[in-house]
Amino acid sequence: MATVRLRDAAEYSAAARRLFELSKAWFNYDFDQPPAMSRVMAWDPDFGGPHGRAMKRAMGPGEFTRAEKEMVAAVVSGVNACSY
Amino acid sequence: MVADAPWYEAALLVGITNAVNVVADAFEGSSAPLKPVAEEGAPPEVEALFADIRAFYARQEIPAPFALMAHDPAYAAEVWAAVKHAFTDHHLSRRLKESLAFAVSLTSRSTFGTAFHLAEMRRLGVGERGVMEVLGVTQMFSSYTKIADTLQLEPDMGHIAPEDPSPAPGGQAP
Repeated sequence: MATVRLRDAAEYSAAARRLFELSKAWFNYDFDQPPAMSRVMAWDPDFGGPHGRAMKRAMGPGEFTRAEKEMVAAVVSGVNACSY
Repeated sequence: MVADAPWYEAALLVGITNAVNVVADAFEGSSAPLKPVAEEGAPPEVEALFADIRAFYARQEIPAPFALMAHDPAYAAEVWAAVKHAFTDHHLSRRLKESLAFAVSLTSRSTFGTAFHLAEMRRLGVGERGVMEVLGVTQMFSSYTKIADTLQLEPDMGHIAPEDPSPAPGGQAP
């Protein structure tokens, strides 16, 4: 169980909710509530904004496809023993 | 990559990459308590093993962990068979596999693995942009994972991927 209470999207500021729209578009999935990580990142948009943009820049297609990069991300998560 | 097969392949690659890195990093340097097997005077099975490794990597020098494992040639041959199979083109390309191994090595802070798989990526045609892409993904997800762990977030996105109903290789669907 998370050590903090994850707020519903409605509890966030308009600027933070903008990040949720970007998250929905990124995953191309209509979540009932934004994923927990999106809600954590939206807690501080001054951090979550640039962090998210850096992630998208790294994950965008280049020499490797997005799918290949998702696999790199999964591998990194596995090595870090992160269940999320 | 909606099928499970590439993910099984990636997981096996992660495991064997880590296994090789563990040995390489533990016995790195001239003061290491276990020395690599010298090729001169090595038994024929070690010569054959080293020849196969050389051919696979298209390089003269034998990667350190294999020269260490060669103290037990039968063991080294089995580990090498697993490594070679894991890194051969199948569902995933060898180029991507070396890139995954590079990410594994970076994440686990393996000095051997990082240098070795970076060299392999380049040899297989990955450019500087591609290297930076893997570096960036590794770095960003090293951030996300630690944030998630610190707050003990529970997985909540597994359902967005479809389930693969296909059986195991050679098996039958239920």
